[in-house]
Amino acid sequence: MEIIFQQILNGVIIGSVYCLIALGLTMIFGILEVTNFAHGEIYMIGAYTSLFITSQLEIHFLLSLLIAMAVVGVLGVFIERVVFRPILGKPMINGMLLSFGLSIFLTNLALLLFKADPRKIESGYSQVRLTFAGLQLTLERLMVIIVSTLLVIALYFFIQKTKLGKAMRAVTQDREAAQLAGVSISNIFALTFAMGCSLAAAAGSLGGALFTVYPSMGWTPVLKSFVVVIMGGFGNVAGAIIAAMLLGLTESLCGGFISYAYKDAYAFLLLVVVLLIKPEGIVGGRG
Amino acid sequence: MSERMKIVKIALWWFGIVLAIVLPFLLPKDYHVHMLVLAGIYSILALSLGLIMGFTGQVSLCHAAFYGIGAYTSSLLALNWDWPFWISLWVGAIGAGFVSFLLGCLVLRLKGHFLAITTAFFGIFVALLFNNLTELTKGPMGLPGIPRPASIDLGFLKIDFITRTSYYYLVLCFAGFAGYCIYRLIHSRFGQAMIAIRENEELSQSIGVNSMKIKLLSFTVGGMFAGLAGAIYAHYILFISPVSFTLAESINILTMVIFGGMQSFWGPIVGSFLLTILPEFLRMAGELRMTLYGLALMLLIIFLPSGLVCSIKEKWFSPSK
Repeated sequence: MEIIFQQILNGVIIGSVYCLIALGLTMIFGILEVTNFAHGEIYMIGAYTSLFITSQLEIHFLLSLLIAMAVVGVLGVFIERVVFRPILGKPMINGMLLSFGLSIFLTNLALLLFKADPRKIESGYSQVRLTFAGLQLTLERLMVIIVSTLLVIALYFFIQKTKLGKAMRAVTQDREAAQLAGVSISNIFALTFAMGCSLAAAAGSLGGALFTVYPSMGWTPVLKSFVVVIMGGFGNVAGAIIAAMLLGLTESLCGGFISYAYKDAYAFLLLVVVLLIKPEGIVGGRG
Repeated sequence: MSERMKIVKIALWWFGIVLAIVLPFLLPKDYHVHMLVLAGIYSILALSLGLIMGFTGQVSLCHAAFYGIGAYTSSLLALNWDWPFWISLWVGAIGAGFVSFLLGCLVLRLKGHFLAITTAFFGIFVALLFNNLTELTKGPMGLPGIPRPASIDLGFLKIDFITRTSYYYLVLCFAGFAGYCIYRLIHSRFGQAMIAIRENEELSQSIGVNSMKIKLLSFTVGGMFAGLAGAIYAHYILFISPVSFTLAESINILTMVIFGGMQSFWGPIVGSFLLTILPEFLRMAGELRMTLYGLALMLLIIFLPSGLVCSIKEKWFSPSK
């Protein structure tokens, strides 16, 4: 029984990492209509930034996470302007292939710069053990849940309450109408990309502390996050959160009790089941 | 003018055929012939993906899965039951076509991004099966010792598949066969329906095109030829392992199709030849090779969005001039 709860806890932790990546992906898709396969490399860059700051500059892990978010956010604006802006309005396959190109470029650049050996971000909290109702949990893992919850809440308030958030939602619904109402599309594109990348960087820092940091670390999480995005409905934030938890739980429970070797296949099976039962996504429609 | 164009066209065809036949003798190294064989196999893959993507407009990111299914089916039949290549080849192709058909039934209701990501995951799923069904596929160890095709005795000419040149002609025949079938298909009534679906699926349905049926046809035929290419690959390299059939390989094939120009028949063929041969020059860059490849891919999409062949056509042969 305890094992089941432990696995559920693991599922929630991995689900929150997927959630942060998927939120960025779904925002970028909702506004730019690009399926960004290079998002995993943004996650990787976030992890390396945080690794560099904690190990070289010896700055506190949580602060390094914030710095990584800022740095990668700026990088996101640059990537949007230079890479994705030129192909705006072209067929979706072009955007997809472009992001594959970017992904190959960034992974191999990282491989040249940092070499392939995996490293770990020392958060300083991995040794602090907490026992809660018979469940073992390190402070580090608890922090993953707390940080991602805070980020999701902050994002929710930004999108729902602020003027920029409203402008973003307007662009998602109808690009031209928003433009007519005086929204600067160009700024919204940049902002969305920056925010999406920041969230991925946060996920990267947390993922790098939980697991290890290496150049191709982003490849599998980003694919899983795409499953999350589809299951939640493209561009749907609430759906993405629920779907991320569902995928995290499915993976850790099936991985723990059925077969660990097929861990990466459960995402596909879950996707097929969801698409057969509710093709419009768990929450339904684009929100 | 049109009479002259016709003559030029026929002359070009004959030139192409003669060049294809004598090409292995013009190349100084055996290695070059090897590159040609690979390019030929890739051209079958790119042509079949071009049918699915360029003509029917359905994005598939699991072409390497069908390629792998064809390769594994044919090799396992040959290794475990001593089936001759000439039969196992077709079983591999039909097996891949069948899986493609089943997958199509399941996922072809989806469109655009949804379809792309679902097929990508199917590709990952199949690669996982190759890796984990160790009793059958020997997992990551791969399958060594796949037999060569049995030699053909034509009386005056005996072909035994030992030299690369003989494989070159084998691949040439099959690529020609695949090209002929796909050319006929896209110039038939079905091809017209496929293009209609690509341009506007709802509109095509309103004039009586059964879009699901046509998409399934395109998906199945595409998968079948990918399986055929896989079987040829397996009996040429004589060793297969899951690393040859990953998502990265699907993307590689996709790049060939886009690079050549997916909305033309010749585009994927040109793309597969150029992208098999050009990366060889990148070898000089050593460690930087893959980084440059990624950069080149990005520049290509930004500056040649509709592909080489289509861009040239638009520039020089556009009817408005």
